[in-house]
Amino acid sequence: MQQQTKPDAPANLETQFRSLADQWRRETGMLSSISQMAAHPAYQEIIAMGPDVIPLLLRELQERGGHWFPALRALSGENPVPREYTGRIPKIRECWLEWGRRQGYID
Amino acid sequence: MPLEYYKELLLPNLNRAEYQITSPESDRYNCIAWAAGHSDRWWWPDPDPDSDSYWPATAPRAETIASLQAMFQQLGYRECATDALEPGFEKVAIFAKDNFPTHAARQLPNGNWTSKLGAWQDIEHQSLNALAGNASIYGDVDLLLRRSHNTTPL
Repeated sequence: MQQQTKPDAPANLETQFRSLADQWRRETGMLSSISQMAAHPAYQEIIAMGPDVIPLLLRELQERGGHWFPALRALSGENPVPREYTGRIPKIRECWLEWGRRQGYID
Repeated sequence: MPLEYYKELLLPNLNRAEYQITSPESDRYNCIAWAAGHSDRWWWPDPDPDSDSYWPATAPRAETIASLQAMFQQLGYRECATDALEPGFEKVAIFAKDNFPTHAARQLPNGNWTSKLGAWQDIEHQSLNALAGNASIYGDVDLLLRRSHNTTPL
């Protein structure tokens, strides 16, 4: 994956992201199917915002958790999670946060 | 203390049911894991090979009632007819909406049920109806299973 610059997200991008993320949490937080969660229109709209949203996703993951992994895979083209961590959400989260630090997306 | 209002809107029978919150929110585990007696992984039969969900290797990976039933059968559960408390047995109820599995609850020794609501809290509820109904995001109970307290899982 080509290295990208990681400026802070523009305020309007962050506002839009926050609104969609909150909607997604409210409407899918009780579900167990991650594919069903990822199919939610708000989640798909976040993916459609493109790679600029990756820092926001990582910060959201860091601060509030959530199944943002399919979106991160879709937007980055990468998967830094070893198979043995399947189902272990805190481990998966930490793999993605460590990936984000290495890429310079988050501190 | 009840669940937040927006959560009860999606599970409207809770509003007039007896229930209590028994854990904080957590995305560490979900309803299926909790019904199966685990709280360290997120269990779901996602057919996607890149899925983040755990599923026992010996059970089919498909988002179907049959797949959930097969997994619980491997834990010693068999289909049963009633959700009534039966001495010597532990029960699990599988919910579905439009034939898509949505939720599982496990019966407690006192006859109440325990449910992990996705990444939301665990609750203890007196009846399965508390989470069921046309307006419920979980739909209705589709399958009841039970196993002897003495069962040794395969």
